[in-house]
Amino acid sequence: MATVTITDVWKYYGKTMAVKDLNIDVRDNEFLCLLGPSGCGKSSTLRMIAGLEFISSGDIYFGDVRVNDVPPKDRDIAMVFENYALYPHKTVFENLANPLKFQKMNRADITERVEWAAEMLQISELLQRKPVELSGGQKQRTAIGRAIVREPKVFLFDEPIAHLDAKLRSHMRGELKHLQRRLETTTIYVTHDQLEGMTMADRIAVMHEGVLQQLGTPGDIYNHPVNEFVAGFVGEPPMNFLDCRIERVGDSVSLVNDNIKLVLGGDQVRRLEEKSAAGEVRLGIRPDDLSVEMGRDHGFAIDAKIFVTEPLGGDMLVDAELGKDRVTVKRKIAEMGQPGEPCGISLNIEKLHVFDRESGEAIF
Amino acid sequence: MASREIVRYKSPARSAFSVLVILFLIIFFVWTVLPLAIMLITSFKDLLDAFKLPQEGDWGGVGVMFDFTPTGDHYIELFTEKHFGVYMRNSLIASLGSAVVSVFLGSMAAYALSRAEFRGKRDLLFWIISTRMAPVVAVMVPLYVIFRSSGLVGTLPGLILAYTTFNLPFAIWILKGFFDNVPYAIEEAALCDGCNRWQALRMIMPLVAPGVGAFIVLCVLFGWNDFLFASIIGSGGAKTLPVATAELVQPVKIQWGSIMAAGVITTVPMMFLGLLIRRYLVTGLTMGAVRE
Ligand SMILES: Nc1ncnc2c1ncn2[C@@H]1O[C@H](COP(=O)(O)OP(=O)(O)OP(=O)(O)O)[C@@H](O)[C@H]1O
Ligand SMILES: [Mg+2]
Repeated sequence: MATVTITDVWKYYGKTMAVKDLNIDVRDNEFLCLLGPSGCGKSSTLRMIAGLEFISSGDIYFGDVRVNDVPPKDRDIAMVFENYALYPHKTVFENLANPLKFQKMNRADITERVEWAAEMLQISELLQRKPVELSGGQKQRTAIGRAIVREPKVFLFDEPIAHLDAKLRSHMRGELKHLQRRLETTTIYVTHDQLEGMTMADRIAVMHEGVLQQLGTPGDIYNHPVNEFVAGFVGEPPMNFLDCRIERVGDSVSLVNDNIKLVLGGDQVRRLEEKSAAGEVRLGIRPDDLSVEMGRDHGFAIDAKIFVTEPLGGDMLVDAELGKDRVTVKRKIAEMGQPGEPCGISLNIEKLHVFDRESGEAIF
Repeated sequence: MASREIVRYKSPARSAFSVLVILFLIIFFVWTVLPLAIMLITSFKDLLDAFKLPQEGDWGGVGVMFDFTPTGDHYIELFTEKHFGVYMRNSLIASLGSAVVSVFLGSMAAYALSRAEFRGKRDLLFWIISTRMAPVVAVMVPLYVIFRSSGLVGTLPGLILAYTTFNLPFAIWILKGFFDNVPYAIEEAALCDGCNRWQALRMIMPLVAPGVGAFIVLCVLFGWNDFLFASIIGSGGAKTLPVATAELVQPVKIQWGSIMAAGVITTVPMMFLGLLIRRYLVTGLTMGAVRE
């Protein structure tokens, strides 16, 4: 039983603010992902939870116990470091065995645990090597191994699979999630890769410049981003944004710019009125919610020009120019078209997001 | 990590250069080894043989230098009549003792200075090394007064203390460099693995061990070869080999044979020490040299 509660936590390095007034409660057995771009304070947060960094102000609780002044070894955590932090003079086996040795586990059990972890991480052949003789990805897997041989109260992962190749990364995503479900251990997982967050986490906490933007399930975050930052950070390829103004003619309300005119549905209009949105807004639409048709006779509402097309195997991306704006559209693969050729675009108005242009807050 | 092979590309200039290098090394070798060889040979000669020298410029006559009947008399005399056994023990205790104390205290201080950030750290570091900036003779007189009033003159603890005073600042600076080269993340990993601070320090000790080993040797060499402290602070009860050797130079009669034998006795143990830890010496000193 281990919940982790972060209340009003601030972190300063000298005058640099790394984390600002952070509040997160991680539930028991939850897989929580801290997601955000480089330098947003994810590692700082994780290191405060581990007890490796002073908390400038605020409290962190494990269960009901305030752990601000508890040294790492008494917190019962297992951490994977961003920079591996392997013991260079020890073999892979000894690296993995080290935490178990400090738990006074007997030799046979240690060997069994280490071999189990090595197998899962596909490093069984490397057990007798020293870290200098390993590639980056092998080191990273060793670092993961050193954490998962234990059964701690909380797992702390700091970008544990960032340096693996794509295939291995996808394999490890599955393995780590499976392991977490099986051990039912509270896990806090730091990453800047939104795909990892979306695929593995129970809940995602999106951070930006030290501030928590949104905390919610992957579905929530994807479908109802609270602001433009979250909307643009989550989802691949990223959401398209277009500056528009609101035009009211009689009962109908539409979003308009030089190239488009979208008449909003009743629900959306009500939401606009509730938030008394300014005249100038930003429209957001995901590449999946756009359709594109090549050629002049496309039959769609919006005329555009192909900028470039990128095949993805089964799907393709079309970057299209709408006047001076550019949008990305994702569709099933079809004829490629050449840059400069005309095309038509339509968009699913249901899936539209609208953001305040000043604050970036989502209106819907 | 990439290997550290040094790739060489052949060129005429390079071949000519390597010939020059070899030539230089030969000259350098003769230059350094010849005096030691003469010392060794002379220590086995009696006084008459010792002065059988060829004429200047007569290279053919070098042979006379090797024309003698070896004798171990000088060595026997040193260890029986002249108590060199005791002096050797004194030298060993003083130099090893100070080396161990310096390296122990030095690594504690160096670890702290490497890991902790606090106001005035740079000033403290400078102050530590500044104690080594004055030449030894400059502080000799006050040091002697202090030592005499504390009854440390002529004792081995006094000598150990004196050497430590001079080894410690060095130890702190050099060992701090070694600790700086060990990423703090390794200790953090150890802390998460269930170590406390001391255990974490123990985890990284093997990483600085080459440095510590190399530095022990430097400290031992300093104490072993020191003459100034030994002759003033050690005089009387704590006579060491260099001082005892110097005393063989008497106004009436310079005992060349004994002096050479004493020289051999003083040099050989350090050579063995050097050979013994040569491996660590090399890795140790280069590890501190590059920042990775
Ligand atoms: N030891 C430090 N001293 C000073 N500033 C620091 C220190 N560590 C981090 N920072 C600053 O704090 C902010 C947050 O850093 P943090 O390491 O938490 O980012 P991150 O989200 O983990 O980034 P990344 O994805 O690149 O690892 C950054 O602006 C960084 O420059
Ligand atoms: Mg980080």
